[in-house]
Parts: sequence; C-alpha cells; structure tokens
Amino acid sequence: GLVQSCGHIIPESPVLALGSNFTALCILNESCLDFGNIYANQIIWKIKNRVVPKDQYREINRTVSSVTFNDTSSLATPLTCNILADGQIEQNIYGITVTVGLAPEKPKNLSCIVHQISRFTYVMTCSWNPGRHTFLDTEFRLRYSWPEEVFPDCIPKGVNNSCTITDIQFFVNTEIWVEAANALGKAESDPLVVDPIDIVKPLSPQNVSVSSGILPTVLKLSWENWISDAVMTLKFNIRYRITGDTSWMEVPSEDTASPRTSFSVQGLRPYTEYAFSIRCMKEDGVGYWSDWSEEKTGITTED
Amino acid sequence: LGAGQSIQQTYDLTRYLEHQLRTLAGTYLNYLGPPFNEPDFTPPRLARAERVPSATVDLDLWRGLTDNARLAANYRAYSRLLCYLRVLDGQVGTAELRHRLAHFCASLQGLVLSIGGVMSSLGYPLPAGPAAPPAPPGAPAAPNDFLKKMDDFWLLKELQTWLWRSAKDFNRLKKKVPPAVVTLRLEARGF
Repeated sequence: GLVQSCGHIIPESPVLALGSNFTALCILNESCLDFGNIYANQIIWKIKNRVVPKDQYREINRTVSSVTFNDTSSLATPLTCNILADGQIEQNIYGITVTVGLAPEKPKNLSCIVHQISRFTYVMTCSWNPGRHTFLDTEFRLRYSWPEEVFPDCIPKGVNNSCTITDIQFFVNTEIWVEAANALGKAESDPLVVDPIDIVKPLSPQNVSVSSGILPTVLKLSWENWISDAVMTLKFNIRYRITGDTSWMEVPSEDTASPRTSFSVQGLRPYTEYAFSIRCMKEDGVGYWSDWSEEKTGITTED
Repeated sequence: LGAGQSIQQTYDLTRYLEHQLRTLAGTYLNYLGPPFNEPDFTPPRLARAERVPSATVDLDLWRGLTDNARLAANYRAYSRLLCYLRVLDGQVGTAELRHRLAHFCASLQGLVLSIGGVMSSLGYPLPAGPAAPPAPPGAPAAPNDFLKKMDDFWLLKELQTWLWRSAKDFNRLKKKVPPAVVTLRLEARGF
C-alpha cells in the first residue's frame, strides 16, 4: 500500500481522569514525508469514525500535529490519526485506545464480623463501601496486621466491597484497613483496630433437646455449646411458644446470663406442647448474637 | 489499651494457646508415631533439648521475682520457643498439620507481642538484645530421626508447661493491677 507504518501517536494508551483535559501528538516518520508527499497539516483526527473539529488541532511542525480535548468526557476509543493522501484517499496512520475513568475514592464504613462456621473454624468477613464507580479496573485489598506482623492480603473475588479472611487470631488487637488502587490513583480506608474475639458471631446452640420435668409446669432444655471456654464463655436467650402460636415468650435474659448447657423453663401449662429455640453470644455482651437454634418441641406432663 | 485490659487480653490468649496446644500436641505426637504418642512415654532429656527454654523452675524463686523480671522471662522464653516451633512448622509433612502449626505460631507471635504490650503498659523496658536467637536454619540436625523426634517432643512438653504457668502468672498479675480507671473526659458537648 501507499502508507506503511508512517507514524505513531503519543501517549500510547493513556488512562485519563474523567473531566480532565488531554493532548495527543501524531508524529509522522520522515521517511514517509519524502515518499508519500504527506505533511502534518494534512492530518485528520478521528474519534471512532467521527472527525474531531479542526479548531482542536494544532500543527506543531512539518511532521507533528496535536489535538486537544478540554474535557475527556467527550473522548472515546479509538482515537486515530489519519491523512488525506494525494488529496483524495484518506489513510489511517495510527490509532490508540483511550480509557477514561476516575481515581478510587477512600473506602468507607469498614466493618468486620467473625463467623464461627464449625466447632474449631472461624472466618472473618469484612465489608466496606467501595465509593463511586471508577469505570476502570480497580483492585481492592483487605489488609490486616499487628505491630510487628503483616498478614497476607485478602483479595476480594468477584466483588469489590467485601472479603473473607480464613485464618483468625484471637486476643490480639489487629489493625484492619482497605486499599483501593487503579491506574489513576490509590486510596486507603480509615483503619479499624479490633480484637477479633470481640466481633464473633458464634454458632447457635447445637443438639437442643427437651425433656419433661417432674412438675407438669416445667420442661428442661439441654444443648451443646460448640465454642470452647478458652475462646469465650457464653450467655443465652431462650424463647418458647405453644406449638401453633405465633408469638414467642422469652425467659428473662438475666436468668440465662451465664455459661450453661441446660435450663428448666417453668410456669408452663400442663399437658401442652411447647416449641423452644435458643441463641447465644459472648457472656460480656461484646460481639453478635448467634442465629436462633433449630426449634425443638416438648410436652409438659399431665397435672 | 490500659494495663488491666492488656493483661486480661494476654491472659485470655495464654489460655487460648493452652487450649489449641492440647489438641495440636496430641495430633503432632501421633504424627511422630510410637512411642512418642504413648501416654506414659517420657524420654530422657538430652543436651540438645536443653536449648529449649526449660519450664522447670523453683516455684518459690519464680514467685519471688519482680513482675518485671517474670514478664521478661516469659517474653524471652516464648520468643525462643517460637523460633524452634517455626523450624518444626517448616518440616512437617502433612498440609493440615502444617496449617495448624502455622496458625499456632502466629498465635504465639501474638503472645510475644501481647507480653511486650503488657510490659510497656506497666512501664517496663522490653528485654534487651534480639527477641530470640535467629531460628537455627543451619542448626546441626539431630544425628538421627529418633533424636530429632525427641527434640520435638520436649519442645511441645516445655511449651505446655510454660503456657500453664504463664496463665497463672497473668491471672495473679491481673489481680494486682486495678482495672483501667475510666477517665471521664468531659467533652465539649455542652458541659
């Protein structure tokens, strides 16, 4: 063809901030000038296939033409440099992709919760507000450390507003923060300093069973706590209702405010079936209530 | 953190480590295999095992130490025990056990930090010199596998005893240091 690679555009593949201004240069090769009889003043800039108004061009010299955009919002890909050779045939010289977006905002509202997912396994899920859409590939990293120990970053998968850490250490104040980075900049959330033991949501009491007592107005609940005393001691809420009723009654919380694996509910109606459900949390009230346990029923004896 | 809170947190961590080590040591000794996992097996303590900080102390002497000296002894011991444990962690063949050892090492690192935090909150200087001798990468390997396993056995045994006694140390210290005095800060909110 007439024109081999007769020039190039700088910058090559820019990433530009939305709303900023931008200038690109198209630089023709000297070899082409002699051969093809082409000069910078014959350059036509295009966005996609739309010609850029001539008043945005400037001929820098024989081989270089510039184009300026006061607001990158009007920019799109590709931006091409073309030449009208021999007066008629328009020929493309070079093209670049232009990416327009925003630097990440400071991630906000960082909060974390430790879920107990089995007898010995805990995971900590942190979530945050990632801020405005950036229109760019933006990487988020959840970072956590102790004064002299930095742990591996948690890289969110498929989302940009939460991450789950699988190796948790209790009883050491841990600094947790989020980093967001893309081609236009980097931002960090405020740090959260917390002892993970204080943000635990324990598993609900397990293997709940109900047995009738000696008295016709009493039913005894028994259950297992799947969290070791070395991790935390628990307090409980117990709720119950006559099977079929919709509203629950609750055992006064002060009656179940200490570690236990059973409780006798009194003041029940004789010869009646009741449904029970229990939940637990750290004894000192710091952290989260577990989900309510599976409902279990029992019948009081006849009077 | 105030001194009281810092000590309470360190006490909780020590008990948590005791809890973790109870199951971890059992698993590890099963990994070493007989006779190490037999309940009444007590091998002799050879010179090599002497390098591990011995938890056997004269109780009266230990009780007679100042809080600072006792905390410093704990700090140095766990720093060195952590080094040996990390060497152990690097040699274990099964992924599950390696993961649990690595988790335990991180917890123990947390304990060293916590003890350091308690000392700072009480105004005591951290023990001078490196927290612990560098892990002995090139340390002369035990002449044979059995002696190496004996080293590991004694390391876990000493660690259990250290943790058992440290929990008592911090429990006593907790009672000596009053809970953090709540300082009422009259914020400029109309007061």
